[in-house]
Amino acid sequence: MSKHRRYRRALRWSLLLLALVLVLPLVPYAVAAGGTQFNTPGVELWDAVRARVQGPMRTQVEGVQSNQLINYWGDQWRLFRSQLLVPIGAVMLLAMLGIITVFYLVRGRIEIEGGRSGVLVPRFSVNQRVVHWLAATVFIVLGLTGLVLLYGRYVLVPLLGPEGFGVTASACKEMHNLFGPLFPVAILAIMFSFGRGNSFRGIDFQWFLKAGGLFGHAMADSGYYNGGQKTWFWLTVLFGIAMSVTGLILVFPNFGQGREAMAVAHVIHGVVAVGFITASLGHIYIGTLGMEGAAESMTNGYVDAAWAKEHHNLWYAEMERAGMVGVSPNTMEEVKRHDDRDFRGFGQPLGRREPLDPTVSPPNRGPTGGGISPAATPSAPKEST
Amino acid sequence: MSSIAAFVDGPFWYFSLTVFVVGVLWRLIGLLSMRGNKELSQPRDSATGGVIHSVLSRFIPVAGSQSRIRVRTVASYLFHIGLFLILIFGAPHVAFYESRMLGFGWTPMPQWLFFLVSAIAFLGLIVLWLHRIMYPVTRSVTTASDHIATGLVFWVMLTGCMALGESSEFLRVLHLFMAELLLLYFPFSSLMHAFYWHVARAHTGAHYGRRGVKV
Repeated sequence: MSKHRRYRRALRWSLLLLALVLVLPLVPYAVAAGGTQFNTPGVELWDAVRARVQGPMRTQVEGVQSNQLINYWGDQWRLFRSQLLVPIGAVMLLAMLGIITVFYLVRGRIEIEGGRSGVLVPRFSVNQRVVHWLAATVFIVLGLTGLVLLYGRYVLVPLLGPEGFGVTASACKEMHNLFGPLFPVAILAIMFSFGRGNSFRGIDFQWFLKAGGLFGHAMADSGYYNGGQKTWFWLTVLFGIAMSVTGLILVFPNFGQGREAMAVAHVIHGVVAVGFITASLGHIYIGTLGMEGAAESMTNGYVDAAWAKEHHNLWYAEMERAGMVGVSPNTMEEVKRHDDRDFRGFGQPLGRREPLDPTVSPPNRGPTGGGISPAATPSAPKEST
Repeated sequence: MSSIAAFVDGPFWYFSLTVFVVGVLWRLIGLLSMRGNKELSQPRDSATGGVIHSVLSRFIPVAGSQSRIRVRTVASYLFHIGLFLILIFGAPHVAFYESRMLGFGWTPMPQWLFFLVSAIAFLGLIVLWLHRIMYPVTRSVTTASDHIATGLVFWVMLTGCMALGESSEFLRVLHLFMAELLLLYFPFSSLMHAFYWHVARAHTGAHYGRRGVKV
């Protein structure tokens, strides 16, 4: 089986998995329409206890709020979760799925204008890709287990039965708790690995005005990162910090935080999680199915020169001037390139590289994706600037 | 308990443990009984000194390659130390050794530490696996067997994580089953480095130590 076919097959399976995750939240409404009832054990007992509670109780049990038999505020939290977070979260996820589907049907896959050049440009170093996939792995594990905990009662009980769901929920809760502390580590690594070059600049707003070229063939100027990538980076950092702080409050109740603090943390955790997962769908789509040539930057670390020229023309121009266009993967040259460097210095005004020659203009971005020097092919000698 | 669970808990456990012990012994004895060419030259330095130096000094990468394998070195220590602590001091494992193997136990680590160490071990394993795939040199020397071994270790850890709540017999049996598969695969894979690492270092150290070469 060819590499291309394997890639397509992996892509199909990824999309199928993604679709399953997105469609599952629909089931609660189908279940509700079917009239399934969930019995809550101990309702009568707790109603009786609630009727007798006047204030803080006396107890021999030590612990934060252990003398508080009933936490009325907890009811507010429960109502928020069941009446707002669950349905609105489902609507957000489904809406994003719908937008992506409509966009795909209308716009189609964004192909490389004029096709691939066959010339490669190094884009992400080994460490950057390791950090990206570490964060992605942890995010997917936490996202899937979190969705099971949020929607599993509605979605999985009808499929697996109460006992089956009990086993699944227990497994997901433990995985969520254990992988949770890895998320702050992954977010920190993302900040250090991808932070430089992600400050917004004037051309990013021009990129936003052109909607990044999503709705036409006129691409906006872009350096190493475009406006959309920078937005996703800062969303990841901000959402990641919020998820990490609230998650640690929830998973380590050893530090004396009471129920109110944990309920607030849970509300923030849930709201941000739904927003984060929703936004990530756009990132996943445009990085895989939505755009030809994008995924390769994070799989093998290289992009086609025609893609680089089309989507990151300013960065490409500087890479070309630096003699970095045209490399041979799986060679010692690749190893040397990847060992101790990244490629963000190109396309950034404050990078550590030599100042640019202002007399050299960026290459044309014609429909053929041309302008790639034959001297940049792997077999030809390269001129260094 | 279902018949499958009883099989995993009983016969299959003893079978996989036997294969593991016999397989490891067989490979170790085979390695140690290999005979190379007899050294005819006069020893120029102590082979024992070379062994000690080689076994200990290799815990830190040689100076020339430290920068390029820093990530792998740190991740490797995180994973191996984490896995060792989980295996030896994890409360469920201590209980298992006491009830099924040794008849005695020892003080396990507290649960919060167990969570932390497990997370660290996962971090190390995932980073190592990703780096193995991404880095051109390690990618080119990696075989399918290496991926199977890493995958088995990952699944044993993941199912162990899933069973942490101790609320389900199914999850416990699933974890045990994965561990048994790992035991069966262990002697025939690169996982044998757990028993080979010091032998290989000692052999190299003795060889060069005898010749008076500093390595």
